[in-house]
Amino acid sequence: MEERINPRVSFYSRLKKRVFLFRSPWIDILQYTLLVLVIIWFLAVGTSNLGYKWDWYRIPQYIFKNVDGHLVAGSLIEGLLFTFKISGVSLVFAIVIGLGTALGRLSDSFMTQAITRIYLEVIRNTPLVVQMYLVYFVIGPIIGLDRFPSAVLALSLFEGSYMSEIFRAGIVSLHKGQLEASHALGLSTFDTYRDVILPQAIRRISPPLAGEVISLIKNSSLVSLVSLTDLTMQARVVSADTFLTFEVWFTTAAMYLAITVTLSVIVKRMEKKFRILT
Amino acid sequence: MIQKELGEVIITIKDVSKTFPGGIQAVKNFSAEVYRREVVVIMGPSGSGKSTLLRCINGLEALDHGEIVVDGIPLDDDKRNRLEIRKEVGMVFQSFNLFPHMTVLDNVNLAQIRVRKKTKEEASEVSKELLRKVGISDKANNFPAQLSGGQQQRVAIARALAMKPKVLLFDEPTSALDPEMINEVLDVMKNLAREGMTMIVVTHEMGFAREVCSHVIFMDDGEIVETGTVEHFWENPQEERTKQFLSKIL
Repeated sequence: MEERINPRVSFYSRLKKRVFLFRSPWIDILQYTLLVLVIIWFLAVGTSNLGYKWDWYRIPQYIFKNVDGHLVAGSLIEGLLFTFKISGVSLVFAIVIGLGTALGRLSDSFMTQAITRIYLEVIRNTPLVVQMYLVYFVIGPIIGLDRFPSAVLALSLFEGSYMSEIFRAGIVSLHKGQLEASHALGLSTFDTYRDVILPQAIRRISPPLAGEVISLIKNSSLVSLVSLTDLTMQARVVSADTFLTFEVWFTTAAMYLAITVTLSVIVKRMEKKFRILT
Repeated sequence: MIQKELGEVIITIKDVSKTFPGGIQAVKNFSAEVYRREVVVIMGPSGSGKSTLLRCINGLEALDHGEIVVDGIPLDDDKRNRLEIRKEVGMVFQSFNLFPHMTVLDNVNLAQIRVRKKTKEEASEVSKELLRKVGISDKANNFPAQLSGGQQQRVAIARALAMKPKVLLFDEPTSALDPEMINEVLDVMKNLAREGMTMIVVTHEMGFAREVCSHVIFMDDGEIVETGTVEHFWENPQEERTKQFLSKIL
């Protein structure tokens, strides 16, 4: 069938239509395989020029070890579990801080607005590494925080500031009629947010929020700077011990990628499931 | 027009003014009284302050000046009074404002559960009865987006009724509807009026006004231009501005 080009139909909708009509998934798989092959070829050529000797067979022991017939987590997996733990704990605090800050910025109180605004500007305009050191070396000792809590504090303060902007955007993007209808029904502010505003806002912001969660996991690699044994720290140790620099860092990158990609897929699924009809 | 006994005064509006931050004075020195079981229609060109006045009555807009008393409760800075008034005054909006993430039944249930502290079962029973009353009991488990505009507005009326309000405010309830859906909403409103619900309705539906309304207020530029019975407006409006306006909508 001949397809005529209508200039009023947007480029993207035409593109989507084409994909929908003519593309089999095998084409994507073929393209992807080709791309991977090209990258491997480049690496092979590059490393042979460097004279690098690949020793992949030595990597698995750092993932899983066989101790007396039992499979035990190797140091990279141990690091990965720690990364999960610190990211998870920081995520909970980041969400609380983010939501609190967003509501604070939307409140009528001048003081609350000012405090949240200052927090945002300070956190977003200084590097996370500096904040990490400040919390660990200065604030931590003052208020008696251990290494783990101070890293959590630094991470969640940092991510909380970015999350708060996402929460705020989600809340203000709702039609103000939703707020008015809730008020008119006599719902309290708390009930309005819990039952009407947040359930809708969170559905809208789930893509950028997922992006922030991913960025939190990636930023958690900075806790290795304060000597916490997360995935990055373990990788550094293993690569220093074995000189398997290429193999270790490729493996580490792949592990991070595996978590973040899985997370993206889960969020996409949830988005579809909880979509609101409009 | 239907005849019925009016009760005592339920809403007193005294000398109310409202100016928006841009300097536009939406309502100027507005005073009126509404009696129990009365249906008041407010008419006027767009921008004349009708909606703002309505929104002032249930505290969606803060007053600059004047006072409003609803069923003995003064609308003032006391948050509890505002909340009390909102429980007694229901509101139906031009754009329905249903909660899109909840089913029709949950929309009607929500305030009963949260504000009147009913259990879900008790609330659902009342809600189903109300949905039957507005003629959409078969859509209870649908989401608002699956309903036509007229159906959505009827759900919105049921939702407002669920709080058993003493007064219902309607802000241009049929203006966003396709013409063939206007009557299904007006019929529900007429039934409410016949049952003795106190209503303040911003609308230009003269047919509705003639059938159930006892009192018409014509506003322009934030002020009352003329008030009277429907017959008065229908047969001999006094003010030039009123005549001009009526000649355009009739």
